[in-house]
Amino acid sequence: MVKYTNMEGEKEDIKALEIKAKKEISAAGDLKELDQIFRAYLGKKGHITRVLRSLASMGEAERKIRGKAANDARDALQAAFEAKKQQQTLQIEEAEKKDHVDVTAPGTKLPKGHLHPLTHIQRKCQEIFNGMGFAVAEGPEIETEWYNFDALNIPKDHPARDLWDTFWLKPKAADYLLRTHTSPVQARYMEKNNPPLRIIAPGRIFRYEATDASHEINFYQLEGLMIGKDVSVANFKAIIEEFYSQFFKKETTVRLRPSYFPFTEPSFEIDMRQGKGNWLEMMGAGMVHPNVLKNVGYIPREWKGFAFGMGLDRLAMMKYKIDDIRLLYSGDLKFLQQF
Amino acid sequence: MLFSYNWLKEYSKEKLPAPEKLADLLSLHAFEVESVSKEGSDSVLAIDVLPNRAHDCLNHIGMAREISAIMGKKTTLPKTKPAKAAKGSLPQLKVKVESGALVPRYAGLVVEGVTIDKSPKKAREYLAAVGVNSINNIVDLTNFIMLELGQPLHAFDYNQIQGNSMYVRRAKAGEKLETLDDQTLTLPEGALVIEDANRLIDLAGMKGGKVSGISPNTKNIFLQAAHFNATTIYKTKKILKYTTQAADIYAHGIDPNLGMQALERANQLLQEWGIGGKVVQVVDIYPAKGKPKLILLDLDFVRSMLGVAIPKPKAKKTLQDLGCTVADKGNLLRVEVPTRRLDLEIPEDLVEEIGRIYGYENIPSAFPAASLAPPRKNSELFWQEFTRDRMKELGFTEVYNYSFIGQKDVRQFAYSPDEQKNLIELENPVSEDVAFMRDSLLENLLKNIHSNVRKQGEIRIFELGKVFSKKNKKFEETKMLGAVVLGGNFYAIKGVIDFLLESMGISGVWYDSYKATPEKSRAVVWHTGKSAEIKVNNQEIGFVGEISSRVTQGLKITQSVVAFHINMDMLAQLASEEKEYLLAPKYPSIVRDVAILAPGQTKVIDVMNAIHDAGGTMVRDIDVFDVFEGGNLPGGKKNLAFHIVYQSDEKTLTNKEVDAIHERIIKAIEENPLWQARK
Repeated sequence: MVKYTNMEGEKEDIKALEIKAKKEISAAGDLKELDQIFRAYLGKKGHITRVLRSLASMGEAERKIRGKAANDARDALQAAFEAKKQQQTLQIEEAEKKDHVDVTAPGTKLPKGHLHPLTHIQRKCQEIFNGMGFAVAEGPEIETEWYNFDALNIPKDHPARDLWDTFWLKPKAADYLLRTHTSPVQARYMEKNNPPLRIIAPGRIFRYEATDASHEINFYQLEGLMIGKDVSVANFKAIIEEFYSQFFKKETTVRLRPSYFPFTEPSFEIDMRQGKGNWLEMMGAGMVHPNVLKNVGYIPREWKGFAFGMGLDRLAMMKYKIDDIRLLYSGDLKFLQQF
Repeated sequence: MLFSYNWLKEYSKEKLPAPEKLADLLSLHAFEVESVSKEGSDSVLAIDVLPNRAHDCLNHIGMAREISAIMGKKTTLPKTKPAKAAKGSLPQLKVKVESGALVPRYAGLVVEGVTIDKSPKKAREYLAAVGVNSINNIVDLTNFIMLELGQPLHAFDYNQIQGNSMYVRRAKAGEKLETLDDQTLTLPEGALVIEDANRLIDLAGMKGGKVSGISPNTKNIFLQAAHFNATTIYKTKKILKYTTQAADIYAHGIDPNLGMQALERANQLLQEWGIGGKVVQVVDIYPAKGKPKLILLDLDFVRSMLGVAIPKPKAKKTLQDLGCTVADKGNLLRVEVPTRRLDLEIPEDLVEEIGRIYGYENIPSAFPAASLAPPRKNSELFWQEFTRDRMKELGFTEVYNYSFIGQKDVRQFAYSPDEQKNLIELENPVSEDVAFMRDSLLENLLKNIHSNVRKQGEIRIFELGKVFSKKNKKFEETKMLGAVVLGGNFYAIKGVIDFLLESMGISGVWYDSYKATPEKSRAVVWHTGKSAEIKVNNQEIGFVGEISSRVTQGLKITQSVVAFHINMDMLAQLASEEKEYLLAPKYPSIVRDVAILAPGQTKVIDVMNAIHDAGGTMVRDIDVFDVFEGGNLPGGKKNLAFHIVYQSDEKTLTNKEVDAIHERIIKAIEENPLWQARK
């Protein structure tokens, strides 16, 4: 370390510093090293800076001599830094000109994930119904005979039960089955919650049937239920028209036709169409049967409302133009990775 | 059921709309018409009569009544002839019924001196149009009246009823009967049968017995118009897996008053069709007469159900057109429902009648007046969807598999007899490939890998769904998250779990390989040395590891497969949506690395604990950044490399201070004779 105590040696010291610095500058390998050297001499605590700063405490004559020497050194070094920096920048530019990529070649492939089409459909439905004040409820897939049938006003040994082909679990005497619809969630939810209420219950259901392009043994349904003091068929019509219009992003009209479900009275079949298109059969619905309300402990006629059950697989198939329901459960990545 | 357009016309004074138009009217106001087809000068409508109307609309008059009501017109009923017994030469038929509950009504006519021949042309045409073969005039007559009125009739050859005696009773288990269609049925206990003095002659309400059938030589007949208990017929149908149109009608219940109407109509047709004969005995065992029901209807209730006000005269006319007798009772309507409408019992049923005849299409759409409160958020569902999104981000493709596994899977995935016992078995599977409820998501996911393996390089798939098992004879279902990677290693899949759990704000996660036993999958699936329980604090939430080559080889998968299986219900519970915001540290941190050469079975967690113990509170975080085995390392050893982050809450740590702590850590590590720090 050079010390500035000896009056005679000062000039030489500054000169020596300058020479040393110039050597280091010309040897600097890259911009980062050059910057370090700059800071060592001309930075806030650099050697030259310190000399310049010490001038203030000196007598005038002394300051004149040493000030000039120090300022000269600073200017010379600044020029040297600038020159070296330019030279290095040029070198980098030269090097980069030789090292290039084929910008037309494809980028590195990152693993891309995909959600199942039925996940997309369920989310879309939930979003629309949430917007209309419907909460989401869930229920078990293994159900008791009570919730799947009796509570819903579907008596034992009645032909009405034949509307649902049912998987029973062993032992049969235990009366456990795979739910054939999401309607049991209605009963379960009403038992635990007081009216008024608005829910949807999407979920997997099961039917005992031969599989083909439009039938599966497990598939998805979305149940809807709205109970209030004054909930009517006209209200149902409005809600469901709004749902389809939002879902298909197109003004949609629905049409109600008479139907029969033991758990609703009156019961409807719902058709929809866009513009002057054909009527498409969409789902079943109705006004909740007073026996169902009674079974869950509500006072019928004081409370009433509508319920509906729509097939989500059908919605997915319509939306994505899928012609075979079995694709949805095939685990075929060629199919799934399109969503 | 098929309906003949010409036949329907018989019961209408006015012109019916053209067949296609009629089909539209019926579809919108009553029943879906599936097809209309032209058959010569007739048209045939395939009408899907709803199950609750089977009792009164699976026949032409019933359908004609619907049409009239929709059009606001009247129905013309066909001619009948009262059944009065004349004196004859046949011995008296003695009829006995075991139970009035099972046979609410048993009616019939003994007709002496009939002539068996072909039916008239028109009758044959009507029957042919709706798909019924003409047999002879007597059998055709029974079919014709059933299709006209909805009352099943059966004709016995009177001379074959031995001892002139009929006893309608419940069958004993195992009794046999040969029916008219040449089948020998072994009857279940409780099926209704008719027995003469010596033998069974009829499966009541379903099919006649061969011995008592009408033959070309039949001279005298007993024409039965009974009412059998619906549930009994339904059960017998189910058990025998055998049915007839009569049984289908009976199974839905019929109007008990229909029996005599049908017999009077038969009496008329005997003459019209030239069958001849005279009624010599009228049987009618009908202890409890069916009476019309009364329903009080509040039109305000109708308005609040439909959302539209139907004027009183309009509502009244609709109900009258449907055959009800309607009177005002204060503000209410007093509605007397004819016995043929078994389905009309409560005011809601009348709301449906008024609504559908009015036309649901005429009900305007109107949004409900309901609270604007946003729906309660379902946090389980929130975390479920959150998880799906994270898995997608990590490059996984979501699959939906069957909730079932099959016999083949039980073998392929080596279920032990005990494990098989815990599987829930279906009573009636559609095939043995789907005979059990899946008890884990992994088997089907691995099958997905197998079926996709030729098409892809690396495969990452996941499923979120329920698994099922039996525990102490109780059925359990649990929502699980399963993920499988073809061509990955343990640390890659562990990284997925860490990312997922961290993003859910779940802390206290660790991996336990000590006697690791999966709770929701089976040990045999996993590589013993490369698998672990995933734990949060002391709770096992899932299992992770490499899939045993026992399994992958069976699936002809040559690359390594890693997987995890996590309880989604627990995950959702643990996830806390409200993440606490931590103040950014005030003072900078300093990072030092250390690598340790240790025996192969050394656990990272043990080394991390040693580092923590020696380093104290200034050690803010430890990251494993490399685990390496093999290469030029001494046999059985592995190299573990860590970043150690040093930081203080009170000051900026100097290099000197950090060096001192780091030295202390290295010393502590080397105190373990099996570990060697590499600097």
